[in-house]
Amino acid sequence: MSNPPQPLPDPDTAGFWTATAEGTVRLCRCTACRTWLHPPLERCRHCAGEVAWEPILGTGSVHSFIVVRHAAVPGFTVPYVVALVALDDQPGLRLPSRIIDLAPEDAAIGMRVRAEVVAHPGGEFHVPVFRPEPDMV
Amino acid sequence: MTTALVGIGRTAYTRKSGRTTLAMATEAARAALADAGLTPADVDGIAAFQYNDSIGPPAVAHALGIDALTWYADLSAGGQAVVTMVRTAAAVIEAGLARVVVLYRSLNGRSGYRFGRADAGTAYGGTAQFTAPQGYNVPPEWFAMWARRHMHEHGTTAEDLGAIAVTQRRHASANPHAVARTPLTLDDYLDGRVVFEPFRIYDCTFEVDGAVAVVLTAADVATGTRHQPVWLHGSVDHQTTVGWEQWPDLTTMYAAEAGPRLWRTTDFSPDDIDVACMYDCFTYTVMATLEGYGFCEPGRVGDWYRAGHGTYGDRVVVNPHGGLLSEGYIHGLNHHFEAALQLRGQAGDRQVPGARTALVTAGGGPFGGAVVYGTERP
Repeated sequence: MSNPPQPLPDPDTAGFWTATAEGTVRLCRCTACRTWLHPPLERCRHCAGEVAWEPILGTGSVHSFIVVRHAAVPGFTVPYVVALVALDDQPGLRLPSRIIDLAPEDAAIGMRVRAEVVAHPGGEFHVPVFRPEPDMV
Repeated sequence: MTTALVGIGRTAYTRKSGRTTLAMATEAARAALADAGLTPADVDGIAAFQYNDSIGPPAVAHALGIDALTWYADLSAGGQAVVTMVRTAAAVIEAGLARVVVLYRSLNGRSGYRFGRADAGTAYGGTAQFTAPQGYNVPPEWFAMWARRHMHEHGTTAEDLGAIAVTQRRHASANPHAVARTPLTLDDYLDGRVVFEPFRIYDCTFEVDGAVAVVLTAADVATGTRHQPVWLHGSVDHQTTVGWEQWPDLTTMYAAEAGPRLWRTTDFSPDDIDVACMYDCFTYTVMATLEGYGFCEPGRVGDWYRAGHGTYGDRVVVNPHGGLLSEGYIHGLNHHFEAALQLRGQAGDRQVPGARTALVTAGGGPFGGAVVYGTERP
Protein backbone atom coordinates (compact mmCIF):
# COMPACT_ATOMS: atom_id res chain seq x y z
CA MET A 1 0.00 0.00 0.00
CA SER A 2 1.24 3.49 -0.77
CA ASN A 3 2.03 5.84 2.05
CA PRO A 4 -0.60 8.19 3.45
CA PRO A 5 -0.27 11.95 3.00
CA GLN A 6 2.38 13.58 5.16
CA PRO A 7 2.14 16.93 6.92
CA LEU A 8 4.27 19.81 5.75
CA PRO A 9 4.90 21.89 8.89
CA ASP A 10 5.55 25.61 8.73
CA PRO A 11 6.57 28.12 11.40
CA ASP A 12 2.94 28.54 12.52
CA THR A 13 2.27 24.81 12.85
CA ALA A 14 5.62 23.31 13.86
CA GLY A 15 4.70 23.25 17.56
CA PHE A 16 1.86 20.84 16.88
CA TRP A 17 4.20 18.32 15.24
CA THR A 18 6.93 18.79 17.82
CA ALA A 19 4.38 17.92 20.50
CA THR A 20 3.06 14.82 18.75
CA ALA A 21 6.65 13.65 18.26
CA GLU A 22 6.87 13.76 22.07
CA GLY A 23 3.63 11.83 22.39
CA THR A 24 1.37 14.72 23.44
CA VAL A 25 -1.31 16.76 21.72
CA ARG A 26 -0.78 20.49 22.11
CA LEU A 27 -2.86 23.12 20.39
CA CYS A 28 -2.27 26.78 19.79
CA ARG A 29 -3.71 29.00 22.54
CA CYS A 30 -3.74 32.73 23.06
CA THR A 31 -1.81 33.65 26.20
CA ALA A 32 -3.84 36.87 26.55
CA CYS A 33 -7.51 36.00 25.97
CA ARG A 34 -6.95 32.23 26.46
CA THR A 35 -8.82 31.25 23.30
CA TRP A 36 -7.78 27.98 21.68
CA LEU A 37 -7.00 28.44 17.99
CA HIS A 38 -7.09 25.56 15.56
CA PRO A 39 -5.76 25.72 12.89
CA PRO A 40 -2.94 27.63 14.59
CA LEU A 41 -1.85 31.18 13.91
CA GLU A 42 1.18 33.28 14.76
CA ARG A 43 -1.04 35.71 16.68
CA CYS A 44 -4.56 35.39 18.10
CA ARG A 45 -7.25 36.22 15.56
CA HIS A 46 -9.43 37.72 18.29
CA CYS A 47 -7.02 39.94 20.21
CA ALA A 48 -3.74 39.64 18.26
CA GLY A 49 -2.19 38.32 21.46
CA GLU A 50 0.81 36.03 21.64
CA VAL A 51 0.14 32.32 21.37
CA ALA A 52 1.67 29.24 23.00
CA TRP A 53 1.40 25.49 22.51
CA GLU A 54 -0.58 24.08 25.43
CA PRO A 55 -1.63 20.49 26.14
CA ILE A 56 -5.30 19.69 25.66
CA LEU A 57 -7.36 17.61 28.08
CA GLY A 58 -7.44 14.89 25.45
CA THR A 59 -11.10 14.12 25.88
CA GLY A 60 -14.11 15.02 23.82
CA SER A 61 -17.18 13.73 22.03
CA VAL A 62 -18.03 12.85 18.47
CA HIS A 63 -19.82 15.84 16.92
CA SER A 64 -20.23 14.08 13.57
CA PHE A 65 -18.52 11.25 11.73
CA ILE A 66 -18.18 9.49 8.41
CA VAL A 67 -17.24 5.96 7.46
CA VAL A 68 -14.80 6.04 4.58
CA ARG A 69 -15.47 2.99 2.42
CA HIS A 70 -13.94 4.28 -0.82
CA ALA A 71 -10.16 4.73 -0.64
CA ALA A 72 -9.95 8.27 -2.01
CA VAL A 73 -6.97 9.17 0.16
CA PRO A 74 -4.06 6.77 -0.35
CA GLY A 75 -2.43 4.87 2.47
CA PHE A 76 -5.50 4.00 4.55
CA THR A 77 -7.29 0.67 4.86
CA VAL A 78 -11.03 1.04 4.35
CA PRO A 79 -13.39 1.13 6.06
CA TYR A 80 -12.28 3.65 8.63
CA VAL A 81 -14.07 6.21 10.78
CA VAL A 82 -13.23 9.92 10.75
CA ALA A 83 -14.93 12.20 13.24
CA LEU A 84 -15.04 15.83 14.10
CA VAL A 85 -14.18 15.53 17.77
CA ALA A 86 -15.61 18.31 19.91
CA LEU A 87 -12.87 18.84 22.49
CA ASP A 88 -13.77 19.39 26.13
CA ASP A 89 -11.32 22.29 26.28
CA GLN A 90 -13.55 24.88 24.57
CA PRO A 91 -17.08 24.87 23.12
CA GLY A 92 -16.97 24.57 19.33
CA LEU A 93 -13.29 23.58 19.20
CA ARG A 94 -13.02 20.49 17.02
CA LEU A 95 -10.28 18.21 15.78
CA PRO A 96 -10.79 16.13 12.63
CA SER A 97 -9.49 12.72 13.55
CA ARG A 98 -9.67 9.03 12.90
CA ILE A 99 -11.38 6.98 15.59
CA ILE A 100 -9.45 3.76 16.10
CA ASP A 101 -10.54 0.45 17.63
CA LEU A 102 -14.15 1.16 16.73
CA ALA A 103 -16.31 -0.92 14.42
CA PRO A 104 -17.96 1.45 11.91
CA GLU A 105 -21.43 0.21 12.88
CA ASP A 106 -20.74 1.19 16.50
CA ALA A 107 -19.85 4.80 15.68
CA ALA A 108 -22.34 7.34 17.02
CA ILE A 109 -22.69 11.05 17.46
CA GLY A 110 -22.14 11.99 21.07
CA MET A 111 -19.85 9.09 21.96
CA ARG A 112 -17.02 9.96 24.31
CA VAL A 113 -13.49 9.60 22.96
CA ARG A 114 -9.94 10.07 24.21
CA ALA A 115 -6.85 11.17 22.28
CA GLU A 116 -3.64 9.30 21.84
CA VAL A 117 -0.66 9.77 19.56
CA VAL A 118 0.42 7.15 17.03
CA ALA A 119 3.27 6.91 14.54
CA HIS A 120 2.22 7.95 11.05
CA PRO A 121 3.35 5.51 8.34
CA GLY A 122 5.67 6.69 5.61
CA GLY A 123 7.69 9.30 7.46
CA GLU A 124 8.84 10.59 10.81
CA PHE A 125 5.60 12.15 11.97
CA HIS A 126 3.19 11.20 14.72
CA VAL A 127 -0.51 12.07 14.57
CA PRO A 128 -3.29 12.28 17.11
CA VAL A 129 -6.12 9.78 16.85
CA PHE A 130 -8.98 9.10 19.20
CA ARG A 131 -10.37 5.90 20.65
CA PRO A 132 -13.68 5.31 22.40
CA GLU A 133 -13.61 5.73 26.16
CA PRO A 134 -13.72 2.26 27.71
CA ASP A 135 -17.28 2.52 29.03
CA MET A 136 -18.45 3.50 25.55
CA VAL A 137 -17.33 0.28 23.85
CA MET B 1 -27.71 46.47 -11.94
CA THR B 2 -27.68 46.90 -15.67
CA THR B 3 -25.42 44.08 -16.73
CA ALA B 4 -26.65 41.28 -18.95
CA LEU B 5 -25.60 37.76 -19.79
CA VAL B 6 -25.73 37.75 -23.59
CA GLY B 7 -23.76 34.71 -24.76
CA ILE B 8 -23.25 31.10 -23.74
CA GLY B 9 -20.84 28.50 -25.07
CA ARG B 10 -19.50 25.11 -24.08
CA THR B 11 -17.55 22.10 -25.25
CA ALA B 12 -18.66 18.49 -25.15
CA TYR B 13 -18.53 17.01 -21.64
CA THR B 14 -16.48 13.81 -21.69
CA ARG B 15 -14.51 11.43 -19.51
CA LYS B 16 -11.30 11.99 -21.42
CA SER B 17 -11.04 15.07 -23.56
CA GLY B 18 -7.51 14.51 -24.82
CA ARG B 19 -7.30 18.29 -25.02
CA THR B 20 -5.74 21.11 -23.06
CA THR B 21 -7.79 23.33 -20.79
CA LEU B 22 -6.57 26.14 -23.07
CA ALA B 23 -8.09 24.54 -26.16
CA MET B 24 -11.39 23.86 -24.39
CA ALA B 25 -11.62 27.33 -22.85
CA THR B 26 -10.95 28.88 -26.25
CA GLU B 27 -13.62 26.78 -27.95
CA ALA B 28 -16.20 27.62 -25.27
CA ALA B 29 -15.34 31.34 -25.41
CA ARG B 30 -15.59 31.44 -29.21
CA ALA B 31 -18.95 29.69 -29.02
CA ALA B 32 -20.24 32.11 -26.38
CA LEU B 33 -19.15 35.13 -28.40
CA ALA B 34 -20.70 33.74 -31.59
CA ASP B 35 -23.89 33.02 -29.66
CA ALA B 36 -23.97 36.68 -28.65
CA GLY B 37 -23.21 37.90 -32.18
CA LEU B 38 -19.93 39.35 -30.93
CA THR B 39 -16.33 38.65 -31.91
CA PRO B 40 -13.09 38.40 -29.92
CA ALA B 41 -12.30 41.93 -31.10
CA ASP B 42 -15.20 43.15 -28.93
CA VAL B 43 -13.78 41.61 -25.73
CA ASP B 44 -11.90 43.76 -23.26
CA GLY B 45 -12.22 41.67 -20.09
CA ILE B 46 -11.83 37.98 -19.16
CA ALA B 47 -12.15 36.19 -15.84
CA ALA B 48 -11.89 32.59 -14.67
CA PHE B 49 -11.53 30.55 -11.52
CA GLN B 50 -9.41 27.49 -10.91
CA TYR B 51 -7.43 25.43 -8.42
CA ASN B 52 -4.18 25.29 -10.36
CA ASP B 53 -5.98 22.88 -12.65
CA SER B 54 -6.62 25.18 -15.59
CA ILE B 55 -5.33 27.91 -17.82
CA GLY B 56 -5.44 31.60 -16.98
CA PRO B 57 -7.17 34.43 -18.87
CA PRO B 58 -4.13 35.94 -20.66
CA ALA B 59 -3.41 32.67 -22.48
CA VAL B 60 -7.06 32.26 -23.47
CA ALA B 61 -7.22 35.86 -24.69
CA HIS B 62 -4.09 35.26 -26.75
CA ALA B 63 -5.57 32.10 -28.28
CA LEU B 64 -8.73 34.03 -29.17
CA GLY B 65 -6.65 36.58 -31.09
CA ILE B 66 -7.03 39.29 -28.46
CA ASP B 67 -3.79 41.21 -28.04
CA ALA B 68 -4.65 43.18 -24.91
CA LEU B 69 -7.29 43.32 -22.16
CA THR B 70 -8.36 46.24 -20.01
CA TRP B 71 -9.24 43.85 -17.15
CA TYR B 72 -8.77 40.25 -16.14
CA ALA B 73 -9.06 38.19 -13.00
CA ASP B 74 -8.00 34.64 -12.20
CA LEU B 75 -9.67 33.58 -8.97
CA SER B 76 -8.01 30.82 -6.99
CA ALA B 77 -11.06 29.03 -5.65
CA GLY B 78 -13.60 26.31 -6.24
CA GLY B 79 -17.31 26.39 -6.91
CA GLN B 80 -17.90 29.04 -4.27
CA ALA B 81 -16.26 31.54 -6.64
CA VAL B 82 -18.61 31.23 -9.62
CA VAL B 83 -20.96 33.91 -8.40
CA THR B 84 -18.07 35.99 -7.06
CA MET B 85 -16.71 35.96 -10.60
CA VAL B 86 -20.05 36.95 -12.14
CA ARG B 87 -20.84 39.75 -9.71
CA THR B 88 -17.28 41.08 -9.80
CA ALA B 89 -17.41 41.19 -13.59
CA ALA B 90 -20.73 43.03 -13.35
CA ALA B 91 -19.17 45.56 -11.00
CA VAL B 92 -16.25 45.99 -13.40
CA ILE B 93 -18.64 46.55 -16.29
CA GLU B 94 -20.73 49.02 -14.32
CA ALA B 95 -17.59 50.85 -13.22
CA GLY B 96 -16.67 51.25 -16.88
CA LEU B 97 -13.46 49.23 -16.68
CA ALA B 98 -14.67 46.83 -19.38
CA ARG B 99 -17.66 46.53 -21.68
CA VAL B 100 -17.60 42.95 -22.89
CA VAL B 101 -16.36 40.31 -20.46
CA VAL B 102 -15.90 36.58 -21.07
CA LEU B 103 -16.09 34.28 -18.04
CA TYR B 104 -15.00 30.69 -18.33
CA ARG B 105 -14.29 27.48 -16.43
CA SER B 106 -12.23 24.83 -18.19
CA LEU B 107 -11.07 21.62 -16.57
CA ASN B 108 -10.06 18.04 -17.22
CA GLY B 109 -11.96 17.12 -14.09
CA ARG B 110 -12.14 13.45 -14.98
CA SER B 111 -8.96 12.61 -16.88
CA GLY B 112 -6.76 15.19 -15.15
CA TYR B 113 -6.93 16.62 -11.65
CA ARG B 114 -9.80 15.03 -9.75
CA PHE B 115 -11.26 16.79 -6.75
CA GLY B 116 -12.46 13.54 -5.27
CA ARG B 117 -8.99 12.01 -4.92
CA ALA B 118 -5.78 12.73 -3.07
CA ASP B 119 -2.43 11.85 -4.60
CA ALA B 120 -0.12 9.27 -3.05
CA GLY B 121 3.09 10.41 -1.45
CA THR B 122 2.08 14.04 -1.18
CA ALA B 123 2.91 16.32 1.74
CA TYR B 124 0.22 18.84 2.63
CA GLY B 125 0.81 22.25 4.15
CA GLY B 126 -1.71 24.81 5.33
CA THR B 127 -4.81 23.55 7.10
CA ALA B 128 -4.68 20.31 5.09
CA GLN B 129 -1.70 19.16 7.17
CA PHE B 130 -4.21 18.47 9.96
CA THR B 131 -6.76 16.67 7.78
CA ALA B 132 -4.91 14.81 5.00
CA PRO B 133 -2.89 12.63 7.44
CA GLN B 134 -6.23 11.57 8.93
CA GLY B 135 -7.44 10.24 5.58
CA TYR B 136 -9.82 13.18 5.46
CA ASN B 137 -8.91 15.34 2.53
CA VAL B 138 -11.50 15.25 -0.26
CA PRO B 139 -14.72 17.26 -0.59
CA PRO B 140 -17.17 14.34 -0.44
CA GLU B 141 -15.81 13.55 3.02
CA TRP B 142 -16.40 17.09 4.28
CA PHE B 143 -19.94 17.26 2.90
CA ALA B 144 -20.78 13.76 4.17
CA MET B 145 -19.60 14.86 7.61
CA TRP B 146 -22.04 17.77 7.54
CA ALA B 147 -24.85 15.62 6.12
CA ARG B 148 -24.48 13.15 9.00
CA ARG B 149 -25.10 15.93 11.50
CA HIS B 150 -28.19 17.04 9.55
CA MET B 151 -29.47 13.46 9.74
CA HIS B 152 -28.83 13.43 13.48
CA GLU B 153 -30.66 16.69 14.18
CA HIS B 154 -33.47 16.55 11.61
CA GLY B 155 -33.97 12.82 11.09
CA THR B 156 -32.90 13.18 7.47
CA THR B 157 -32.74 9.85 5.65
CA ALA B 158 -30.97 8.32 2.68
CA GLU B 159 -34.36 8.41 0.95
CA ASP B 160 -34.45 12.18 1.41
CA LEU B 161 -31.08 12.63 -0.26
CA GLY B 162 -32.09 10.07 -2.87
CA ALA B 163 -35.15 12.11 -3.83
CA ILE B 164 -32.79 14.85 -5.00
CA ALA B 165 -30.57 12.49 -7.00
CA VAL B 166 -33.54 10.73 -8.62
CA THR B 167 -35.30 13.98 -9.57
CA GLN B 168 -32.21 15.52 -11.09
CA ARG B 169 -31.45 12.37 -13.07
CA ARG B 170 -34.96 12.44 -14.47
CA HIS B 171 -34.36 16.03 -15.56
CA ALA B 172 -31.04 15.06 -17.14
CA SER B 173 -32.71 12.34 -19.19
CA ALA B 174 -34.23 15.13 -21.32
CA ASN B 175 -30.87 16.89 -21.70
CA PRO B 176 -28.75 15.65 -24.62
CA HIS B 177 -25.67 17.35 -23.19
CA ALA B 178 -25.85 15.54 -19.84
CA VAL B 179 -23.35 12.77 -19.20
CA ALA B 180 -25.65 10.71 -16.94
CA ARG B 181 -29.07 10.26 -18.56
CA THR B 182 -29.95 6.68 -17.60
CA PRO B 183 -33.03 6.86 -15.38
CA LEU B 184 -32.35 6.28 -11.69
CA THR B 185 -34.95 4.84 -9.35
CA LEU B 186 -34.89 5.28 -5.60
CA ASP B 187 -33.98 1.59 -5.31
CA ASP B 188 -31.08 2.13 -7.72
CA TYR B 189 -29.96 5.01 -5.55
CA LEU B 190 -30.20 2.99 -2.34
CA ASP B 191 -28.36 0.08 -3.96
CA GLY B 192 -25.57 2.43 -5.01
CA ARG B 193 -22.11 1.88 -3.61
CA VAL B 194 -21.59 3.52 -0.23
CA VAL B 195 -18.46 5.62 -0.66
CA PHE B 196 -18.25 8.07 2.22
CA GLU B 197 -21.02 6.99 4.56
CA PRO B 198 -23.64 8.44 4.70
CA PHE B 199 -22.97 9.25 1.01
CA ARG B 200 -23.56 6.81 -1.79
CA ILE B 201 -22.02 7.20 -5.21
CA TYR B 202 -25.19 8.91 -6.48
CA ASP B 203 -24.86 11.65 -3.88
CA CYS B 204 -21.72 12.83 -5.63
CA THR B 205 -21.21 15.04 -8.64
CA PHE B 206 -20.31 13.47 -11.97
CA GLU B 207 -16.73 14.55 -12.71
CA VAL B 208 -16.10 15.36 -16.38
CA ASP B 209 -13.73 17.12 -18.76
CA GLY B 210 -15.05 20.21 -20.48
CA ALA B 211 -15.46 23.97 -20.51
CA VAL B 212 -18.23 26.55 -20.29
CA ALA B 213 -18.01 30.24 -21.14
CA VAL B 214 -20.51 33.06 -20.79
CA VAL B 215 -20.41 36.65 -21.99
CA LEU B 216 -21.47 39.58 -19.81
CA THR B 217 -21.91 43.05 -21.25
CA ALA B 218 -23.06 46.52 -20.40
CA ALA B 219 -26.69 47.33 -21.21
CA ASP B 220 -25.93 49.33 -24.36
CA VAL B 221 -24.04 46.40 -25.86
CA ALA B 222 -26.58 43.85 -24.66
CA THR B 223 -29.50 45.37 -26.51
CA GLY B 224 -27.74 44.75 -29.83
CA THR B 225 -26.89 41.08 -29.33
CA ARG B 226 -28.44 38.06 -31.06
CA HIS B 227 -30.66 36.71 -28.31
CA GLN B 228 -32.86 38.12 -25.62
CA PRO B 229 -30.46 39.37 -22.94
CA VAL B 230 -30.63 37.75 -19.52
CA TRP B 231 -30.39 40.52 -16.94
CA LEU B 232 -28.70 40.44 -13.55
CA HIS B 233 -31.22 41.52 -10.94
CA GLY B 234 -29.24 40.95 -7.79
CA SER B 235 -26.56 38.88 -6.18
CA VAL B 236 -25.08 37.88 -2.87
CA ASP B 237 -21.85 36.42 -1.54
CA HIS B 238 -21.25 35.00 1.91
CA GLN B 239 -17.66 33.84 1.96
CA THR B 240 -16.93 32.88 5.54
CA THR B 241 -13.44 32.09 6.73
CA VAL B 242 -14.16 29.63 9.50
CA GLY B 243 -13.52 26.45 7.51
CA TRP B 244 -14.98 22.96 7.32
CA GLU B 245 -14.16 21.69 10.78
CA GLN B 246 -15.01 24.68 12.98
CA TRP B 247 -18.21 25.84 11.21
CA PRO B 248 -20.63 26.21 14.15
CA ASP B 249 -23.77 24.54 12.80
CA LEU B 250 -23.08 21.73 10.35
CA THR B 251 -26.80 21.49 9.52
CA THR B 252 -26.72 24.88 7.82
CA MET B 253 -24.54 26.23 5.06
CA TYR B 254 -23.51 29.73 3.97
CA ALA B 255 -26.99 30.00 2.45
CA ALA B 256 -28.62 30.47 5.85
CA GLU B 257 -27.05 33.96 5.78
CA ALA B 258 -26.88 34.52 2.04
CA GLY B 259 -30.51 33.59 1.37
CA PRO B 260 -32.22 36.11 3.65
CA ARG B 261 -29.75 38.80 2.56
CA LEU B 262 -30.43 38.12 -1.13
CA TRP B 263 -34.18 38.42 -0.72
CA ARG B 264 -33.78 41.50 1.48
CA THR B 265 -31.65 43.28 -1.14
CA THR B 266 -33.71 42.40 -4.23
CA ASP B 267 -37.34 42.64 -5.25
CA PHE B 268 -37.58 38.86 -5.26
CA SER B 269 -38.54 36.08 -2.91
CA PRO B 270 -38.33 32.30 -3.34
CA ASP B 271 -41.93 32.36 -4.61
CA ASP B 272 -40.83 34.50 -7.57
CA ILE B 273 -38.22 32.06 -8.86
CA ASP B 274 -39.11 29.85 -11.83
CA VAL B 275 -35.80 28.05 -12.28
CA ALA B 276 -33.41 27.32 -9.42
CA CYS B 277 -29.97 26.13 -10.49
CA MET B 278 -28.75 25.04 -7.08
CA TYR B 279 -25.06 24.28 -6.77
CA ASP B 280 -24.95 20.53 -6.32
CA CYS B 281 -21.50 19.12 -5.84
CA PHE B 282 -23.45 16.72 -3.61
CA THR B 283 -27.13 16.02 -2.95
CA TYR B 284 -26.73 17.39 0.55
CA THR B 285 -25.60 20.74 -0.85
CA VAL B 286 -28.95 21.03 -2.62
CA MET B 287 -30.78 20.08 0.53
CA ALA B 288 -29.07 22.56 2.84
CA THR B 289 -29.18 25.42 0.34
CA LEU B 290 -32.85 24.89 -0.55
CA GLU B 291 -33.38 25.36 3.18
CA GLY B 292 -31.07 28.34 3.38
CA TYR B 293 -32.57 30.18 0.43
CA GLY B 294 -35.99 29.62 1.92
CA PHE B 295 -37.60 27.20 -0.52
CA CYS B 296 -38.26 24.68 2.19
CA GLU B 297 -38.28 24.38 5.97
CA PRO B 298 -35.17 22.79 7.48
CA GLY B 299 -35.49 19.03 7.59
CA ARG B 300 -38.36 18.88 5.11
CA VAL B 301 -36.58 18.75 1.76
CA GLY B 302 -37.23 15.04 1.26
CA ASP B 303 -40.96 15.51 1.86
CA TRP B 304 -40.87 18.57 -0.39
CA TYR B 305 -39.56 16.55 -3.32
CA ARG B 306 -41.90 13.64 -2.64
CA ALA B 307 -44.83 16.07 -2.71
CA GLY B 308 -43.87 17.00 -6.27
CA HIS B 309 -41.91 20.16 -5.59
CA GLY B 310 -38.70 21.12 -7.34
CA THR B 311 -39.77 19.61 -10.66
CA TYR B 312 -42.04 20.27 -13.63
CA GLY B 313 -45.52 21.26 -12.58
CA ASP B 314 -44.30 22.97 -9.42
CA ARG B 315 -43.77 26.68 -8.88
CA VAL B 316 -40.00 26.18 -9.24
CA VAL B 317 -37.94 23.63 -11.13
CA VAL B 318 -34.64 22.78 -9.45
CA ASN B 319 -31.75 21.97 -11.78
CA PRO B 320 -33.72 21.25 -14.95
CA HIS B 321 -30.48 20.28 -16.72
CA GLY B 322 -29.68 17.60 -14.16
CA GLY B 323 -27.13 19.73 -12.38
CA LEU B 324 -23.60 18.81 -11.52
CA LEU B 325 -24.93 15.47 -10.29
CA SER B 326 -26.09 14.36 -13.74
CA GLU B 327 -25.20 16.92 -16.42
CA GLY B 328 -21.58 17.11 -15.32
CA TYR B 329 -19.21 18.93 -13.03
CA ILE B 330 -18.17 22.10 -14.82
CA HIS B 331 -17.89 23.50 -11.36
CA GLY B 332 -21.16 25.43 -11.50
CA LEU B 333 -20.65 27.66 -14.52
CA ASN B 334 -22.87 25.24 -16.45
CA HIS B 335 -25.67 26.39 -14.10
CA HIS B 336 -25.39 29.88 -15.62
CA PHE B 337 -25.49 28.37 -19.11
CA GLU B 338 -28.69 26.54 -18.20
CA ALA B 339 -30.30 29.60 -16.60
CA ALA B 340 -29.70 31.59 -19.79
CA LEU B 341 -31.07 28.83 -21.98
CA GLN B 342 -34.20 28.53 -19.85
CA LEU B 343 -34.85 32.29 -19.70
CA ARG B 344 -34.46 32.56 -23.47
CA GLY B 345 -36.98 29.74 -23.92
CA GLN B 346 -34.41 27.62 -25.77
CA ALA B 347 -34.16 24.62 -23.46
CA GLY B 348 -35.99 22.23 -25.77
CA ASP B 349 -37.61 19.20 -24.20
CA ARG B 350 -36.70 20.37 -20.71
CA GLN B 351 -37.95 23.94 -21.12
CA VAL B 352 -39.59 25.24 -17.96
CA PRO B 353 -42.78 26.79 -19.35
CA GLY B 354 -42.80 30.57 -19.18
CA ALA B 355 -39.55 30.81 -17.21
CA ARG B 356 -38.83 34.47 -16.46
CA THR B 357 -36.60 34.34 -13.38
CA ALA B 358 -33.72 32.13 -12.35
CA LEU B 359 -31.74 31.75 -9.16
CA VAL B 360 -28.22 30.41 -9.66
CA THR B 361 -26.23 29.48 -6.58
CA ALA B 362 -22.55 28.78 -6.14
CA GLY B 363 -20.64 26.86 -3.55
CA GLY B 364 -21.62 25.00 -0.43
CA GLY B 365 -20.58 24.48 3.14
CA PRO B 366 -19.06 27.62 4.64
CA PHE B 367 -18.94 29.71 1.50
CA GLY B 368 -20.93 30.59 -1.58
CA GLY B 369 -23.32 33.00 -3.19
CA ALA B 370 -26.13 33.43 -5.66
CA VAL B 371 -27.33 35.49 -8.60
CA VAL B 372 -30.87 36.27 -9.70
CA TYR B 373 -31.37 36.54 -13.45
CA GLY B 374 -34.49 37.77 -15.18
CA THR B 375 -35.87 38.32 -18.65
CA GLU B 376 -36.90 41.91 -17.92
CA ARG B 377 -34.43 44.73 -17.89
CA PRO B 378 -34.17 46.07 -14.32
